[in-house]
Amino acid sequence: MDGWLIAMMLGGSIFLGGLALMAFLWAVKNGQFDDEEKFLNAVQFDNQEDLNDAVNLEKKKAKLKKEKSYRPE
Amino acid sequence: MSNKVACSHCHLEFNEDVMIKDEEHYFCCNGCQGVFHLLSDEGYDTFYAKAGNTQLTPPTQQYEDSSNFNSPAFYDRFVRTSGDGFNQVSLIIEGIHCSACVWLNEKALHNMEGVIEANINFTNNKANIAWADDVVKLSDIIDMIRAIGYNAYPYDAEIQESHANKERKDYYLRMSVAIFSSMNIMWIAVAQYAGYFSGMTQDIKTILNVAEWLLSTPVLFFSGWIFFRGAYYGMKTKVVNMDILVATGASLTYLYSIYITLTKQGEAYFDSVSMIITFVLIGKFLEVLSKKSASDTLDIIGKHIPSEIHIIKDEKIILCALTDAKVGDTIVVASGEKVLLDGKIVKGSGSFDESSLTGESEPVYKEVGDSVISGTISIDADVHFIASKDFEHSTLSSLVHLLDSAIAKKPKIEQLANTLSEYFSSVILAFSFITFIVWWWWPHSFEVAFMVGISVIVIACPCALALATPVATLVGISIGASRGILFKEASHLETMAKVDTLVLDKTGTITVGKPEVVNEILLEEFDINLLYSLVTSSKHPVSKGVAAYIKKSSEGLSSSTFDTFNQHQALGIEAYLDGIEMYGGNYRLMEQKGIKVEHISDKTLFFFAVNKKLVAIYELSDKIKEGAKEIIQDLYSKKIDVIMLTGDNEKSAKKVAKEIGIHKIYAEQSPKDKADFIEKLHDNSKTVVMVGDGINDILALSSADIGIVMGSGSDIAVDVSDVVLLNDSLISLDDAFKISRTTYSLIKQNLGISLVYNGITIPLAMGGYIIPLIAAISMSLSSLLVVGNSMRIKLKWKNN
Repeated sequence: MDGWLIAMMLGGSIFLGGLALMAFLWAVKNGQFDDEEKFLNAVQFDNQEDLNDAVNLEKKKAKLKKEKSYRPE
Repeated sequence: MSNKVACSHCHLEFNEDVMIKDEEHYFCCNGCQGVFHLLSDEGYDTFYAKAGNTQLTPPTQQYEDSSNFNSPAFYDRFVRTSGDGFNQVSLIIEGIHCSACVWLNEKALHNMEGVIEANINFTNNKANIAWADDVVKLSDIIDMIRAIGYNAYPYDAEIQESHANKERKDYYLRMSVAIFSSMNIMWIAVAQYAGYFSGMTQDIKTILNVAEWLLSTPVLFFSGWIFFRGAYYGMKTKVVNMDILVATGASLTYLYSIYITLTKQGEAYFDSVSMIITFVLIGKFLEVLSKKSASDTLDIIGKHIPSEIHIIKDEKIILCALTDAKVGDTIVVASGEKVLLDGKIVKGSGSFDESSLTGESEPVYKEVGDSVISGTISIDADVHFIASKDFEHSTLSSLVHLLDSAIAKKPKIEQLANTLSEYFSSVILAFSFITFIVWWWWPHSFEVAFMVGISVIVIACPCALALATPVATLVGISIGASRGILFKEASHLETMAKVDTLVLDKTGTITVGKPEVVNEILLEEFDINLLYSLVTSSKHPVSKGVAAYIKKSSEGLSSSTFDTFNQHQALGIEAYLDGIEMYGGNYRLMEQKGIKVEHISDKTLFFFAVNKKLVAIYELSDKIKEGAKEIIQDLYSKKIDVIMLTGDNEKSAKKVAKEIGIHKIYAEQSPKDKADFIEKLHDNSKTVVMVGDGINDILALSSADIGIVMGSGSDIAVDVSDVVLLNDSLISLDDAFKISRTTYSLIKQNLGISLVYNGITIPLAMGGYIIPLIAAISMSLSSLLVVGNSMRIKLKWKNN
């Protein structure tokens, strides 16, 4: 068997696995698994409205931030 | 006839006729009605669809003004400023029952102007809220939470738990990397070992080696960082610990394997590197998991002491910081509040709960001229008193200092595995070095000698040793938890198994702690509902005891509201209903009202008279808990010395002691005396368990090797304790001893297994008979053996 084939397959799968691991580490660091009850239960209330709320919240934050930076210290 | 309907807001069910009817909805109280309308007005009514039939707590009337959340003192203590200029606070939200509650709170807060983040943890009801202070005030946020039917109070996230959580999260990250890499390395290793037996070209071998190298690098340097750090601290303090063994073993194998990969000859052993780190890391993680975070004990009392106090200045009641109150200030204490300073009452009277000093639940009546002591709680007294000491010198403050020093002085019993691993590690490192030298001097190539030397470390690498204690204690802890015994830290199981002296508190520990009716004498027929209404309207422990007894013995009770109702301090209650005159109270009340009483008893008596005629007498006393006598005898037979310490007087102490068969008793002990007594036992090199329940026991609890608290005990006592008995029974105490002893014997067995295993394999490794491949396999095997053996605790426990 060609050595390069094995090298590529190994490299490719380790790379993909690595990506998944990175995503998992990011999620843990980000606190997404801190509340085991919520991350299982909140799914049932996930809807468009909540998504809109989240976006609005981001917008609100950005707006307040902007106001803050304009203010002379 | 009774038709039960559920409240539209909280879903609790009540009779239809007591409910408030509002169009097609029913409400149990105004609070629920208000919240319901608010939610529908704001468009949050999908909440009810989400909540389903979950029963909620009806919103309670909030008397407390939320404006004190805006005070600078409060901001100083609880509010943090984030990097981008927003304020953050951590709150505990009361009344969360389901995920819909979480949804509602988050939604309501998100829609508030100025709030930029609201994240509520369903598991522990803790919320993190960030807001712009120039747009919205914290008090508005609190008001919003209260308006939708919940309550919020702050906690200090910094000291509380962030430290413990950070450490745990850190371990999660390191373990996920280690496990991911080890699993991948394992399947590469399968190919490698298959090739080892069936032949494989050097090219492919090198490719596999490089892949393993890539995977094992993060394991060694990221996941294994903990061991390098531990090794560094070990060397600094000149202790050869297990971390040094793991770190040297793993890094030497790693370097050797790189050398093999680059020179393209021989076998690389990256799999051993990652396996060692992963296994020992798991063992360490289990230890961290079952460790009580040191931060738990740091601020225990602080959070139970309000930071502000009401004082009178210029004839107005104002709120001022506790530390700013001076000697001579007039301080206002309302019923239900904690007294924070020592002083003399100048106005008002009422009963105080002094159990924090004496342990007795009987309230003490105080009036003008009497002195109040800080740390006690006003039951029904609204008084003004003049402070005679500032907070720094108050009784409460000195109690805090004593507690601090008691916690600092708490003896730490060295764990068996730790002492063992120290010797073990140095011996193995020496053996490995000697093996290497001998093999090298015996004409062998450097590679061979090095490999044999490494194999000694790898085979001895204390995977089984590292797992021996944590796995066993974890099983022990889980058995305890299922029987209502909470061990706060794994090492407490081991310490408790070594205990030879048991110190018991009397009230609340051996006895139930509150008066119960032991004898009922009915003199004449009367309506039991009248008596029930009378006793339920008082908070006095005697009335409560009578109420509990009536509730148990009769059915279909209903309480009615009296026309007039009057509580006489330290005497009893007087009430009128539809022309019926009722008195309920002690001998002195009856005497005052001119009712003749001839009954005499050494127990506490409660008399009930209707229209100046005595109709019933109840005898109450503090009952001894079930099975106390048998358990004390059982403990004696286990060669545990049992001693009783109590704040109560000698006579009643002796009575209880005689009844349950304790020979050593010490009565009239102050909180400090109790702690000193335990110190004295320590000086005689005794290992002591202290069992108590009240604030008066906390000093003793924290200076004992193991402090055990009844679950119904005071919050502070539960906090400082090491073991909590949730169901308050002495049977649990006996179980706790049994569980800890069973666990300890299995820990010893586990350590034995891993040592015997090492005793066989190390000589083989030194002789060069074991290549790292076999070392890795046998390592896993011994770990499995230890884990399997630990599971036997469950079996052993059942047989007991």
